[in-house]
Amino acid sequence: MFRREKLDEIEKRKKAWEETTLKRSLERFGLEKSPTSFCSPLDIKEHDFLGRVGFPGEYPFTADVYPTPGPDTGPDFLSGGTGLVRASNYTGFGTPEDTRDFYQYMKSLGRQGLAPGVGPNLAFDLPTQCGYDSDDPIARGEVGKTGVAVDTLRDFEVIYEAFTGNSELDRIASNWTINAPCNVILSMYMALAEKRGVPIEKLRGTPQNDILKEFAARGTYIFPPRPSIRMVRDSITFCTRHLPNMNTISISGYHMREAGATGEQVLAFTFSDAMAYVQLGMDAGLDVDAFVPRFTFLTFSGSMEILKEIALQRAARRMWAKIMRERFRAKNPRSWIMRAAQRATVGEYSKTRHRPLNNLTRAVLEGVASALSGGTGYTGYPYDEPLGLGHSLEGWQLNIDAARIIRYEARLCDVVDPLAGSYYIEALTDEIENKAWEIIDKIDAMGGAVAAIESGYIQREIARSAYQHQREVEKGERVIVGVNRFVGENELDVTTTRLVPHPYDPVKRDMAEERQLANLKLVKVRRNGKAVLKTLKELREAARKEDVNLIPYIFEAVKEYATIGEICNELRGVFGEYEPFAL
Amino acid sequence: MVKVEGRKVAKGQRIRVLMAKPGLDGHDRGAKIMTLGLRDTGFEVIYTGIRQTPEKIARAAIQEDVDVVGLSCLSGAHNYLFPRVVELLKENDRGDVLVIGGGLIPPEDVKPLKARGISAIFTYGATIGEVSDYIKKELRTRRTRREQLHSGAKGGRGVSKRKAG
Repeated sequence: MFRREKLDEIEKRKKAWEETTLKRSLERFGLEKSPTSFCSPLDIKEHDFLGRVGFPGEYPFTADVYPTPGPDTGPDFLSGGTGLVRASNYTGFGTPEDTRDFYQYMKSLGRQGLAPGVGPNLAFDLPTQCGYDSDDPIARGEVGKTGVAVDTLRDFEVIYEAFTGNSELDRIASNWTINAPCNVILSMYMALAEKRGVPIEKLRGTPQNDILKEFAARGTYIFPPRPSIRMVRDSITFCTRHLPNMNTISISGYHMREAGATGEQVLAFTFSDAMAYVQLGMDAGLDVDAFVPRFTFLTFSGSMEILKEIALQRAARRMWAKIMRERFRAKNPRSWIMRAAQRATVGEYSKTRHRPLNNLTRAVLEGVASALSGGTGYTGYPYDEPLGLGHSLEGWQLNIDAARIIRYEARLCDVVDPLAGSYYIEALTDEIENKAWEIIDKIDAMGGAVAAIESGYIQREIARSAYQHQREVEKGERVIVGVNRFVGENELDVTTTRLVPHPYDPVKRDMAEERQLANLKLVKVRRNGKAVLKTLKELREAARKEDVNLIPYIFEAVKEYATIGEICNELRGVFGEYEPFAL
Repeated sequence: MVKVEGRKVAKGQRIRVLMAKPGLDGHDRGAKIMTLGLRDTGFEVIYTGIRQTPEKIARAAIQEDVDVVGLSCLSGAHNYLFPRVVELLKENDRGDVLVIGGGLIPPEDVKPLKARGISAIFTYGATIGEVSDYIKKELRTRRTRREQLHSGAKGGRGVSKRKAG
């Protein structure tokens, strides 16, 4: 807080500066308005360090949610280890056999690849994510493409053959990017643990399980919003009781931002979704402090304007703390902290296909933004990622080395929230927070996130922002080097070829669909068809009763090798399917 | 004899486009931007929404009597899904519909897709202006070719396939 008389003096001096020093300069350049701005205490008159920033690990957590990130976890800090980030890189392709072999190969590389005790971060193919079997006609062409195909428990058994011994299920944490069929995947993991003799209460992991954002962006929904969040309620209540080490959800702004949402919109939409999930648990009779500490947040994605992104991270931490303490009256400080592995990023849509090596420069800025906002110096995906699905190993090494240079040579991670107290950053943090609250108020007035999705508000807003962004790019108001500026015959198109072959074998990928169909066929022949039908019938009946938790029923079906498609079809029969809005 | 059917886009008549998302991919930022952008350019654009089968897309294209089908896919399933739409249109005597594609298409896939009837592939960095200009030019070329064929004049075969980015 600033003393009144000091502020008055600064205000006077500012006026004088504008009328003399600045004015002379503008006249010299023939400018009417200054192209730059400058911030002073006048921009944060009400600033109060303890109220608005506070010490790291203390309310309102603007500086950081932890007092310190803890001891340096060594050169593998990006791919897991003993620190806060325990999952591997997002990986999965082809059949379960392909993915198992890939993880085994990564493990054979030792700490450079996958350290012992680090679990998989599984990418699933779209049929799995949308609750279709590999042999469903709609799955044609998609099997094993965006991730690994999982139809039955057999597939989980195969993938996890890469995780035994010192990487047994009770020693690793698994990540699954799965939303609509989350409870099926969770049940497969429990069934696998049961088979291996690992008590389910020892299981650790994070399913994405954030279905609301799937309606707003990315679109791997199955059922309409209300029955969809019932499924989330079931996982929250089940895990709170039986899987205490499972993070129940990874609330995601990422996909909405990548789909076009602005920074303020992504904060508002993500926290509105998060508030709906908190309410869900409370309405199910859980004490708020019993389940919210297991909520996690995925990244909000970002933009190349890294100072804004750093401020956004600070605003986000402060907003979530306020939401949990003031709105939901949580008492446990663990409920107040926004648990997230990643901090500021520049977003994948900022990376270009043109002159792909420029993405290395963008990655360095990303790492700087991450380091200055409490992250590890994470540099995002390799430069060649926009060239197609997947990336090269040398691309990975360049990115990881960039993060290491940021961390160990430039030492940007040595000070927590180094920009705290900057007039500009503090003003920007306040501004972003205020704008996000305005949108949250609007969504509250509509009846919350579920109602805002049902009415199509969030979907339309994201599409509008995406279109606005595109227009700015096309008019040249927003510069993308090598795309809409600095192109032409005198500019070199700097490209590169891959030094190391793509880690995903293209031949295997092409054959994946055929091989997975054979896998599925074999399971169907070998399983007890009668038992499958019985569990599916019981699931359908349970689904009709809104207050019943479906996970025990799904668990029984999964153990009989019912397929993900069969389970989801039973639920489709009861819940119906979501019909998206026209544009 | 080449079948001459479908709408003939006369001068001043609005070009009709079906923007479609085949397969299970839900990344529709590009499809939505193109829908809004081509509408603002003056085209009539129908957006199918995500998760459409090639059959549904071909049916919608025929029912809506469109001049152009724009396909967008970012999941890697384009090599099956895009040509399948072209095949279905041809099977229904609507091979005259201009089919273009976009999304996350690796450069090595572009040539084979063009060989299978996808006239142009637009990926990252393509502007609304580039796409709309291409559509207008291509439809004009096709109209000229049809008229030449109709009037019995030679030269229809001489019109080379346009290159597009």
